[in-house]
Amino acid sequence: MISRRERVMTYTLLAIVSIGVLFPLAWVLLDALSPSSTGAIDLTALHWSNFVTAWQQAGFSQYLKSSLIITGSVVVLGTAVAILSGYAFGVLSVIGEKLLFPLVLLGLMLPMEAFIVPLYYDFLSYHLTDTYQGIILAHLGMGVSFGAFWMRTAFRAVPGSLGEAARIDGANSWSQLWRVYLPVARPAVLTLVLLSFLWTWNDYFLALVLVSDPAHQPITLGLGAFSGRYLVQVNLLSAAAILVSLPVIVLSFVFQRQFIRGILSGSIKG
Amino acid sequence: MNPTLIRNPGRRNAGPTPAAVAQGRRRRRRPGVGSGRRPWLGLLYLLPGIVLYAVVVIVPVGQGVWLSFFNWNGVTTATWAGLSNYTGFLRDPALRAAVEHTLYFIIFFSLLPIALGLLSAVLSSYKGIRGAGIFRAVIFMPQVVTPAVIAVVWQRIYEPDGPVNDLLRVVGLDSLARGWLGDFTWALPALGLAGTWAAFGLCMVMFVSSMQAIPQELFEAVRVDGAGPVREFFTVTLPNLRGPMSVVLALTMIGAIRLFDLVWLTTKGGPGTSTITPTVILYERAFANPEVGSAAAIGVVMTLVSLLIVLVIVKVAEGKAE
Repeated sequence: MISRRERVMTYTLLAIVSIGVLFPLAWVLLDALSPSSTGAIDLTALHWSNFVTAWQQAGFSQYLKSSLIITGSVVVLGTAVAILSGYAFGVLSVIGEKLLFPLVLLGLMLPMEAFIVPLYYDFLSYHLTDTYQGIILAHLGMGVSFGAFWMRTAFRAVPGSLGEAARIDGANSWSQLWRVYLPVARPAVLTLVLLSFLWTWNDYFLALVLVSDPAHQPITLGLGAFSGRYLVQVNLLSAAAILVSLPVIVLSFVFQRQFIRGILSGSIKG
Repeated sequence: MNPTLIRNPGRRNAGPTPAAVAQGRRRRRRPGVGSGRRPWLGLLYLLPGIVLYAVVVIVPVGQGVWLSFFNWNGVTTATWAGLSNYTGFLRDPALRAAVEHTLYFIIFFSLLPIALGLLSAVLSSYKGIRGAGIFRAVIFMPQVVTPAVIAVVWQRIYEPDGPVNDLLRVVGLDSLARGWLGDFTWALPALGLAGTWAAFGLCMVMFVSSMQAIPQELFEAVRVDGAGPVREFFTVTLPNLRGPMSVVLALTMIGAIRLFDLVWLTTKGGPGTSTITPTVILYERAFANPEVGSAAAIGVVMTLVSLLIVLVIVKVAEGKAE
């Protein structure tokens, strides 16, 4: 137990820290509802229509479409690749594993700067810049290390006797994966899906490098372009910013537990 | 991941995972999962992953090293440059400034977030504190805000007629009010504080999850000895947080070294070069105004520095654990 004085101190400090964190977000939210283009806050006239205006003026429909195509494809395909690779390393074992597994792990530690320059010029010569395929491919390749490592750990936690029993029943490796390993590892798959969504949706740098055609850019770049053009219309810019972060914030509230656990183990266990 | 913050983590390959690597190494020596072993079939399952990884990561990493020995403008034929892209490194004033800023940013993106993260973890873990979960959820919030949005938020806060200057005017310090991100002296610490804000929630959550594993008796024992909260922190809490400390340190330091989104979307490295970072220079040299060899060399050096940091931190953490 702690003393009354300590408790008062604790609450005070926690409140100060929390206000410090909330203040910038709250300010921008109130800006977004401001009737004036200077963003002057006016609580008596909350302009919810700013969100609609910002959406239209920023051309978010097109950017949102691109973001959904890119993020959706990366989440679905990336998870599938992670499951297959994790199954290979975790259950089946792989020819040359002593070389291949450390090589894949290395990817967890390589910063994007290690390969982004040649990757751009490679993609340029394959005509993959300014295409959905290109940026999706890049996200998928960069996600292999984490995905393989993550699903390998999950599949290793499945008791080997379960797979063995299915094998005796005549199940081949494919149906063992589907009927035995995947159902048991479902929480790990959900976490992977969430993390993959978060990373792909939030990406700015990769898209900035690989996609210069606005018709294929994700919404993070759309926001950047909007803020370049509309610095004078503070209320609309703030509204646009809130719209961009909304999907991730909503998801993180719905899946709060998985999210925090994912981000935690995503960086601790790998 | 991220993360980062985590994001910021930002990101994604910024997630060096010393513990992961150590664990991976240890696990590999364990006998395989018995009857499941079918190595040729395994290779078949691994094929899509390994091909994607090779095309996007491994081959370009090699090409990057190769490119760093050339002078190339991205269009005409490249000419051999030997080591000149490396030897000119610290004589290049822009790069020098970027390296200095990086050291400076490590304070704001790594040390301060760790300190604040520790503080909020400890405070919210005291027994009898109600609403600890709510405080933590609030402090964690910036972690799920898109980095591009964080840039917009802080641009707004630091604007000439933004809340920081409003506050200064209210308390009569009108002379201090300015456009913080356009100021040669103040743009750097202003961005740094935005980074601290974005990063410390992740640090807190990591510390909290490890603190929950510390046996309660240890806390009770020092309290019985008459220790106050400060001594309790230094004798019980801190020594038990070495593991997460090394992970957080590696993660946030690499986040600081790689800083791009926040700077690019607010100051573009300016005014002048007063907030320029290595990745901003890499981006400009690789794509805007191509000196591709030099950009590739920056990438190689950043990679080596990141790997070195992870290595040192893993070594130190392992040494301490024994």
